Amino acid sequence: MTFVVPVGPQHPALLEPEHFRFEVRGEEIIDVKIRLGYMHRGIERGLMDRTYHQGLYLAERICGICSHAHNLCFSQTVERLAGVEIPDRARYIRTIVAELERIHSHLLWAGVAAHEIGFITLFMLFWRDREHVQDLLEMISGNRCYYSMCAIGGTRRDMRPEHLPKIDRGLKVLEKATKHYVDVATSDRTILARCENIGVLTKQDARNFCAVGPHARASGVDVDMRRDDPYAAYAEIPFGVVTQSEGDVFARVVVRLREVLEAIGIIRHALDKMPTGPIRTRVRAKIPPNEATSRVEAPRGELLHFGISNGTEKPERWRVRPPTYANIPSLVPMFVGGTIAEIPIVLASIDPCMCCTDRVTIVDVTTGKSKILTMEELRRMAR
Amino acid sequence: MTEALSFLLAYLIFPGLLFTGAVSLLFVGIDRKIAAHMQNRIGPPIWQEFFDVGKLLGKEDITPTSAQSTVFTLAPLLAFGAIVAVMLLLPVNSAQPALVLVADLIVIIYLLNIPAICVMLGGYSSACPFGASGASRYVVQLFGYELAFIIAALAVAVKVDSLSLSDFVSYQAQNGWLALDWRLLPALIASLIAIQGKLLRVPFDIPEAEVEIVHGPLTEYSGPKLALMRIAYDIEILAVAGFITALFLGGPTPFNIGGVQIPGVVSFLIKCLAIVLFTTTLRCIAARLRIDQAVRFFWTFAVILAVMSLLLVI
Amino acid sequence: MPRILPDVLRNVFRKPATVKYPYERIEPPGGLRGRPVVEKEKCISCGLCVKVCPNQAIKLIEETKKPRISLSRCIFCGECADACPVKAITMTKEYELAVYDKAQAISE
Repeated sequence: MTFVVPVGPQHPALLEPEHFRFEVRGEEIIDVKIRLGYMHRGIERGLMDRTYHQGLYLAERICGICSHAHNLCFSQTVERLAGVEIPDRARYIRTIVAELERIHSHLLWAGVAAHEIGFITLFMLFWRDREHVQDLLEMISGNRCYYSMCAIGGTRRDMRPEHLPKIDRGLKVLEKATKHYVDVATSDRTILARCENIGVLTKQDARNFCAVGPHARASGVDVDMRRDDPYAAYAEIPFGVVTQSEGDVFARVVVRLREVLEAIGIIRHALDKMPTGPIRTRVRAKIPPNEATSRVEAPRGELLHFGISNGTEKPERWRVRPPTYANIPSLVPMFVGGTIAEIPIVLASIDPCMCCTDRVTIVDVTTGKSKILTMEELRRMAR
Repeated sequence: MTEALSFLLAYLIFPGLLFTGAVSLLFVGIDRKIAAHMQNRIGPPIWQEFFDVGKLLGKEDITPTSAQSTVFTLAPLLAFGAIVAVMLLLPVNSAQPALVLVADLIVIIYLLNIPAICVMLGGYSSACPFGASGASRYVVQLFGYELAFIIAALAVAVKVDSLSLSDFVSYQAQNGWLALDWRLLPALIASLIAIQGKLLRVPFDIPEAEVEIVHGPLTEYSGPKLALMRIAYDIEILAVAGFITALFLGGPTPFNIGGVQIPGVVSFLIKCLAIVLFTTTLRCIAARLRIDQAVRFFWTFAVILAVMSLLLVI
Repeated sequence: MPRILPDVLRNVFRKPATVKYPYERIEPPGGLRGRPVVEKEKCISCGLCVKVCPNQAIKLIEETKKPRISLSRCIFCGECADACPVKAITMTKEYELAVYDKAQAISE
């Protein structure tokens, strides 16, 4: 006798609205149906109406936590469309901000995951230490999120020499705190009881469902855009790719916390080897017809932007494939066979960023045909 | 006539409704404040629980149409009444509680279960999947902690050779606290773990896990009914802490500092506060367990400690 | 023995990490992109800020041809400040910009 437990769109376990229908028998989950689309905002259409320089700011606001990744990917795609090379110093600055954002995103996620398993103390302590990264980013870029550091052709701001000692101090504090948290997380019996062997995704399933990012690396799939398709300054900086083989929630926790330590190492190396020179080259407003793709390792996985230009200063079409969109189908094998108690932590362990995810296509179930609705029609139906 | 009047006074003022309500809400406020400082933040003022309950009393009361409204309405009232009755049976000011019964240990253990049953009934009668899920988890958890709790209390009863709490207090007044007796130390540890489950505190707040089942059995409650349930929860904290004080920490003992006679209720409250702060520390250093892991923990760890104590004192 | 226990006990005696805003404030770093301020004397009415704004938040006032920035549309990106040839627009450090009346949310 199955029972339906709806999770979302409004639920304390979800930070952003999506709908999951769980069929349960007692406490065991038999099936799950996922419905997305609650966060659709029409950004790809909005990018078609704005010039490249203006669209940069709209693309950045696709997501609040991975904002620099979208900013970077958009600029790289436009630079490839225009066939422009950016100066070396700009590439290093972009790398440093990208790694700082990765630290920020992983610490935020760690706090949220701790909250989902009921460990409020760790939630508060993680977010207290996240303030150090926020202060560094505010000092470098002028804002705590939506950094707007990339311009088309380079970066907008330079790093000043007086920032360097503060960045050093901040990184030392973060490194000590993260090592302590890795110690706590791997040794605490209640965390291990809640996270080990929960939401297991085997390596074969991860490959079949095309999982990306730390989610796939925790199942043993060795894929990282920074090493496989180098962009910015990653080709010149040595770093390690963190993988675990168990594929459960605990492996994902360990992968993300160790990536924070790797990111601190990358930033130190980049600051050491930073070349001098200009930070921006001029890119003309009108870009000749071309097609280009760019891939970036956002904190959640592989982010892809595909752009088509048509000779004017506005793009013809833009397509964004965010990492959470690729990770959502792998939720089904992770949920089935588990219990209701695991729903929040398994859902949180893929680090869902729903605002990146949503694109809406309406499918008529009787005929199987899909069509696109305009805003007027949606407004009329919502009344 | 005077008996009825004194009973009414005891039920309503001391150690009944007014005293217990005020002190337990204050203790919960202190618990929230200390937990906040443990998490390196400021937290609410210690009067916050008074404000919260007062705000809830003024809100709109909604009963879902498909709920069983008699059970839904009666559950908070029964829980509240039962837990205030427990306070009458505990020795608060002296070795003699306000209401003297034969074998009041058994009566207290039964009365302490009534709030749990009322919460379950409320959850099942609210016609909500989260309520049913929370209530079923509460039933399973009850099977876990109750055995450890009862065996620990039984170990003390065997040691003192009586079933009346006033005898426990007078025995400890002569022979020292039972907590310092090495044979009863495992029972003390077992009962402290059992009350963490009874009071629904992390790592055992599974029936009320906010991120999984919104508010568990209390999801559909609002307004004055929710306020009554919340006051019942808070008074339960004081009642259970008081019970453990009477069993292991000597209960209310009057003492004097520099010639001033301090009544027993002060030492009773200090000992209860110590127990409450111990549960606060426990709730800040652990994650929430799953229901099967919690029951397994109770049945292997807590029950074995309690049985060990029972065997040592027989 | 949980490793978090010494942290938790030590935190009870430490000063809390909370900043008691609005009674205490942290000084924001220099370069914070706060409210954009227009210096009308320097402005040459070239209109570059209007063209470059991603959100069309800047309009030139009819009579004086100087820019008026609508703070409810502004995304505080700083492009206007970068584009201005005479540096008439600067991004200040002011971030407490909430108002009760939407008509007051302008900077000119």
